[in-house]
Amino acid sequence: MEDVKVTNIEAKLYKPEPFEKQMSEITKKYLGFLFVPGMKSRELERRHEMLTRFKSKRRFITKLNNPLTIFGFFIIFIVVTWAVFAPLITVFDYDIEITGIAEGITPWSAPNYLHPLGVSKFGRDVLARLIWGARSSLTMGLFSIIISVTLGTLLGIFSSYQGGIIDNIIMRIVDIIMAFPGLIIVIILISILNPSMETILLTYGILGIPGYTRLIRGTALQEKNKTYVEAAKVAGANDLKIMFKHILPNCLAPIIVAFTFDIGGIILSLAGLSFLGFSDSSLVEWGTDINYARNHIYDAPWAAFTPGFGILLTVLAFMLVGDGLRDALDPRLQGRKN
Amino acid sequence: MSLIKYTIRRLIALIPILLGVMFLTFWLAQLMPSDPWTLMAGERLTDARKKYIEEQKQNWGYYDPILTQFLIYMKNLFSGDWGNTIAVLPKDTPVWDIIALKFPKTFEITILSVSIATVVGIFAGIFSAVHRNQWSDTIIRFSALVGVAIPVFWLGMILQFIFAVKLGWLDATGYQGIQYITYKTDITGLRLLDSFIKGDFDVFKDTVLHLIMPVFALSFISVAGITRQTRSSMLEVLELDYIRTARAKGCSEHQVIYKHAWRNAQITTITIVTLSFAGLLGGAVLTETTFALNGMGMMTLDAINSQDYFLINASVFLMTIIFVLANLITDILYGVVDPRIRY
Repeated sequence: MEDVKVTNIEAKLYKPEPFEKQMSEITKKYLGFLFVPGMKSRELERRHEMLTRFKSKRRFITKLNNPLTIFGFFIIFIVVTWAVFAPLITVFDYDIEITGIAEGITPWSAPNYLHPLGVSKFGRDVLARLIWGARSSLTMGLFSIIISVTLGTLLGIFSSYQGGIIDNIIMRIVDIIMAFPGLIIVIILISILNPSMETILLTYGILGIPGYTRLIRGTALQEKNKTYVEAAKVAGANDLKIMFKHILPNCLAPIIVAFTFDIGGIILSLAGLSFLGFSDSSLVEWGTDINYARNHIYDAPWAAFTPGFGILLTVLAFMLVGDGLRDALDPRLQGRKN
Repeated sequence: MSLIKYTIRRLIALIPILLGVMFLTFWLAQLMPSDPWTLMAGERLTDARKKYIEEQKQNWGYYDPILTQFLIYMKNLFSGDWGNTIAVLPKDTPVWDIIALKFPKTFEITILSVSIATVVGIFAGIFSAVHRNQWSDTIIRFSALVGVAIPVFWLGMILQFIFAVKLGWLDATGYQGIQYITYKTDITGLRLLDSFIKGDFDVFKDTVLHLIMPVFALSFISVAGITRQTRSSMLEVLELDYIRTARAKGCSEHQVIYKHAWRNAQITTITIVTLSFAGLLGGAVLTETTFALNGMGMMTLDAINSQDYFLINASVFLMTIIFVLANLITDILYGVVDPRIRY
């Protein structure tokens, strides 16, 4: 009989929250010691901890499991496949010119059996350029965001942890950079540095730093005053260890969400930039293609509109995933289903 | 009283930011590979013109180091001289005259699209939050996301394709029909308002027809952000205790939503509305390029392309000051809508 009782209690410990609520005052008073994990046995405590950890992970994944987020992941998968395997899955090269003179194909020809999405400037295949465009968009978006996230996070944590005059100076510089009109300053910088892939990437990367610095600083300021930081200090951890081993992991949630949203934002902004003609002309870019075909919406709408679907779907996918991640990671939204 | 003190404190704090922005812009504009005066030297110039250019160079400290140049520039600013345009047409006019010419156009488009976007966005957001997880909510959320993700120039081109190319109802580009190109907007500078006041309804109708597409494109992308923000803050508020209390004491659903919930949810919406207003006032470069509207955005782009640095400096300064003032106004508005917030 005794054994059965113990298993009962153990079984109830597997779902502590509802049980705690149901437990009456008297039970708490007399049997309370049984429900404190670790007082009974270390094995129980270990199992309890594993279970809660497992549960929180499972909750995270279930939260991501809504149709829109999955749709987002699916599109990102497709676009990444395009980017990685572009040479293998395209029939024509991205800059091949006039392929089927015998078939009567000229620049700006309508969709036909050789070119299912039509032909654009110089007789280029629209489909091939749509697929190749994924490569430059994703590369530039990803790398510039990596630059801004890394440096922004470092600066933000450093600034919040040091406080005082260093914090003040860093935040004033951040204020100045963030007060600039974004697209205009990018255009000025790019026209100074010549539009090549590296300079555009660096410009976006550096101009993105202040946003992340401000974001991380806000979160890190809250974390800094928590007891675990104090405990780490007492235990003798040095500043670097506290900053990057203790505070940083606790600031990751907002970084991940902002990261996902910003990849989409940067791809959109880059498309706008290349639409205006400020782009590396050796790259295949959706925005550049739209710019080329701009004056041909009368006779070749396929060439003008196809690259736009690439931009729209890619950005939409990152936004959908970002939304899903935010719902799953934001502690304020815990327990709410939307 | 404390509000006034707070405003003054904030205004003083703006000065270093503005100075920093001005110096950076000045420096960046000087860093451009050439300068408009050198570009102009390639043209065939009369002697009087050459002399004028030389005078201007001396006046602005062209041969001095950058810091001295900046000090000279600041000194001239305080005496009211922001420089003349060098390469942007019309040449040799004070930069603020050009901005005064372009700004009303941008202002007109901005105020129309932001007000439409605000009304639609707020109602869509509230509706979506109230009908959470129903099919109408899913549709609104998805279209709001599309609005965030759509490239505005591409949307503009689709509109042009449908309404100008296929249906032929509207002109694809421009601000006015060719027959009204000489129409003077001398009262307020706003074309719609001027033609309305003067009673020229042909011009009014023509302007409306030309503004429909750009305003639609701009408000479509602004609506998206406003809807998302309104929805998420409404959802947060609707979970709170006083909403339950309001329902319990027998308020109608309309009262609960608009008097209890919306009042408390509007702060974040105000932020996003003022910021998008400020952002668009600086000139929607992409939309203006798509529809060939010569407002602030195209002017600044033109100035950058021809490296007309007095114009670049002035317009970046204007955009920055609009942006920071919008931030300040937002913070002040918080206190007005929500008396619990004190300064």
